[in-house]
Amino acid sequence: MRRSKLPEWFVLLLPAFIILAAVVLIPLVLSFYSSFTAYRLTRPDSINNWIGFRNYVRLFEDAGFWWAFGRTVFLLTIALNLEMLLGLGLALLVNKVTWGQRGLRTIMMFPMMFSPVLVGFQFKFIFNDNIGLMNNALQSLGLTDQAIPWLVDGGLAMFSIIFAEVWMSTSVFAILILAGLFAVPQDPLEAAKVDGCTPWQTFRHITLPFIMPFIYIALAIRSLDVARAYDIVKIMTNGGPANRTELIWTQLARTGYVDAKMGLANAMGYISIFLAIFFTVYFFRKLNASRQILGMAD
Amino acid sequence: MANVKLKNVVKNYGSLEVVHGINLDVDHNEFVVFVGPSGCGKSTTLRMIAGLEKISGGEISIGDRVVNELPPRARNISMVFQNYALYPHMTVRENLGFTLRIAKKPQSEIDQAVAEASAILSLDPYLDRRPGELSGGQRQRVAMGRAIVRHPDIFLFDEPLSNLDAKLRAQMRVEIKKLHQKVQTTIIYVTHDQVEAMTLADRIVIMRDGYIEQQGTPLEVFEKPVNTFVATFIGSPPMNLLHGRADNSGKNITLDDGVNVAMPSRLAGKYADKDIIFGFRADNIMPVGHTLPQGDESVEIDMTVTLTEPLGAETLLFGEIGGTQVQAKMLNPRIVKPGEKLTFQIDLEKCHVFDAQSEMVLD
Amino acid sequence: MAMDINDKHRLKNRLLKAGHLIALFIAMCIICVPGLWVVVNSFRPTVEIMAKPPVWIPTEFNLDHYRAMFGAVGEGGIPVVRYFTNSLIISVTSTLIALLVGMAGGYAFARYRFKGKAAIFVGMMLTRAVPGIALSLPLFIVFARVGIIDTHFGLILAYVAMNVPFTIWLIDGFFRQVPKELAEAAEIDGCTRWQAFWKVEFPVAKAGIASAGIFAFLTSWNEYALASQLTRSVNSKTMPVGLLDFTSEFTLNWGGMSALAVVMIIPALILTFIVQKHLIAGLTFGGVKG
Repeated sequence: MRRSKLPEWFVLLLPAFIILAAVVLIPLVLSFYSSFTAYRLTRPDSINNWIGFRNYVRLFEDAGFWWAFGRTVFLLTIALNLEMLLGLGLALLVNKVTWGQRGLRTIMMFPMMFSPVLVGFQFKFIFNDNIGLMNNALQSLGLTDQAIPWLVDGGLAMFSIIFAEVWMSTSVFAILILAGLFAVPQDPLEAAKVDGCTPWQTFRHITLPFIMPFIYIALAIRSLDVARAYDIVKIMTNGGPANRTELIWTQLARTGYVDAKMGLANAMGYISIFLAIFFTVYFFRKLNASRQILGMAD
Repeated sequence: MANVKLKNVVKNYGSLEVVHGINLDVDHNEFVVFVGPSGCGKSTTLRMIAGLEKISGGEISIGDRVVNELPPRARNISMVFQNYALYPHMTVRENLGFTLRIAKKPQSEIDQAVAEASAILSLDPYLDRRPGELSGGQRQRVAMGRAIVRHPDIFLFDEPLSNLDAKLRAQMRVEIKKLHQKVQTTIIYVTHDQVEAMTLADRIVIMRDGYIEQQGTPLEVFEKPVNTFVATFIGSPPMNLLHGRADNSGKNITLDDGVNVAMPSRLAGKYADKDIIFGFRADNIMPVGHTLPQGDESVEIDMTVTLTEPLGAETLLFGEIGGTQVQAKMLNPRIVKPGEKLTFQIDLEKCHVFDAQSEMVLD
Repeated sequence: MAMDINDKHRLKNRLLKAGHLIALFIAMCIICVPGLWVVVNSFRPTVEIMAKPPVWIPTEFNLDHYRAMFGAVGEGGIPVVRYFTNSLIISVTSTLIALLVGMAGGYAFARYRFKGKAAIFVGMMLTRAVPGIALSLPLFIVFARVGIIDTHFGLILAYVAMNVPFTIWLIDGFFRQVPKELAEAAEIDGCTRWQAFWKVEFPVAKAGIASAGIFAFLTSWNEYALASQLTRSVNSKTMPVGLLDFTSEFTLNWGGMSALAVVMIIPALILTFIVQKHLIAGLTFGGVKG
């Protein structure tokens, strides 16, 4: 009766394979090809204009691109670390609460349901130098009488973007780390207290190793989605002022859609993909290692 | 000097009071066992001594220093937990040395202390393994080793053997006793197993519902239980308790089914016309011809055997007097069939009489 | 002397407790205020939002921004209803398909042993790591060729692919929490494997699967980078893209935008709260128990 010799697991995974191949892999192959051409959206036949590595060479020689690349890595490093630390702090604060914890947990998830574009607008609004909540508050409290140019000054704009990004994503860390804290067995914690640990030492030597896998899950999940920051930056500054917040993603969008240089943009796209893959693989490895230490892996 | 003093110690969770003003003095180097059914407050009391639970009232002092508000780390104690509480991400060696490491002791001192503890508990072959790779007994030994390394003023044990199988439990009991002799430290030990309590303790503290019912040496609590609870909790099988009434001379007791027994002579005439509970252990009721030499006073009683439990050197016989189940022992046993009617001898000198109302012993 | 130590520790504990509460309060404020600010502003007249010096205590609440938004185009109105239906159709359809594909895939990962399982798993996750904007370039070219730019179908397809990896991760975790013995018992009782799945394993893992679905829904509902390039008109524009209708070259209609934001957030809010418990359980179980 059964003619197909395909293993069941393969049949089950087949729909996933097909859809991922059709929507991700094949287009990526196409974009890989087009990154070696001088393809321009405005002239469709230019996709046959093979130029070898010239797009990549141009990128490697383009200081603006390297700045954007460096800025992206900088933003991700700062944002992910801050999110992890703040998420950890928030989780510890909530974990200590004995009353009304459910409500706090619900509030904590609040930013998770905001669309990144919306977060962008929201903070564009808040950091507006004229009518923004931030300046209004600072001025009303008498901390400053000037309008601080949050989104107009390069350094402050970067700060504002990181603030928005951290606001949006800290809760993912906090929620997962909190779940980790719930899963820490009580006995070793009490043993450590009796063994003479200060609260800090208990945290450092017992709690932290236990929640490390959860931190890495959060980092892995986040790293799958780092490019979400594009939406925020696109809305808040669109790379400005004077390219001071230009990231690899905003530059890529501009090159592809505004300047219509698809080949070049795809070359950038590939570099951004490798960047994302690097982060993802790195955290998945860390996750496995931390699980091994606790003897959790199968 | 590391004695422990509990003065009127109270614990409540919200409006629920679980420990009601406990007073206790533990001397230096004494081995005290808290025993009682689950929920009696024994673990809570231990955890208050450790500082893992805040006390709601009263005063706890260790070595003449009041420690009410001190965190556990400032009390210089060690604790062995029911589930061992080993740190899964550290090797046995790291587990043992952990307390010294966080106290920032020099490495040489740590190594030496670990080696010492490892020798006492024969852990040398396992030093580089993680807890996940050890058996239950080995984990238990590591947990004890970790407690020794610190040279604490007092050792606290929270039901340390309840996760082990019966054979291992007997073995570990011996090891704990040896350990106490070797390290000469005050030990407070919590268990729900009266056999553990009897075999280990210098002094047993029996708790129920947040009160101390009785404290004393194992023999004291066995031979002179203050109430029916202690009488049934300590000793195996539990003491037989029969309801009855002392007659108006106070010299005879009529049990519920009309059987008459004499009031033990030390109590004769003291309690006339009173509802009482008559208690005796299985060791003190034996079939005629299968007994130890009896004391001066004894009484004979007929009972139909309903069930037998042969244990080898002796057989437990089950029967009923006045509707209450009674367990008796038979030495040099012969085969007894259920339904057989035997005459038993009760050693009156070893019998106990309790007030039926208050369930307190009468003497 | 002895009392001194105890007093010191008692004082320290009280200070720590107070510090904890203050820190918690500040943290919760930072989390809540930006969102609440948007909600409040959606009910305030533009004059008041823009007032200088600022009006801290709102004097007037009205529904003007909502009225304008649903009103005629040209008077500040935007096709909200169209955007909302587009968003809803696209998110729901892509979520359902992603769930079916994800259930098959998740079941394969949870119940079968096969060579290269870990590598295939990470490979699938990596497809999710491709930045939306980078993927949008070739997708734009391909979709334009095939003629599915600015259609529901095109965006649904893209979102299914985007959601499948993560859905598989979550559902894998949920299926692994269902003991294998359950399905085995069902098979011994006379079920086929197919029946055992639908009658035993699926009902047990149902709540988890639903939360994976909501996660996928939220991702589609909120997605912008792909939607901004693959949609063109009211035919397929979703709400995140629609937000940009409130921007013109130099000005931004804050009040109107806040009103649309509220319309966007409410469904997300409700759904998230329904499933929050399962969501956390699924993420952590799948991740920690490898």
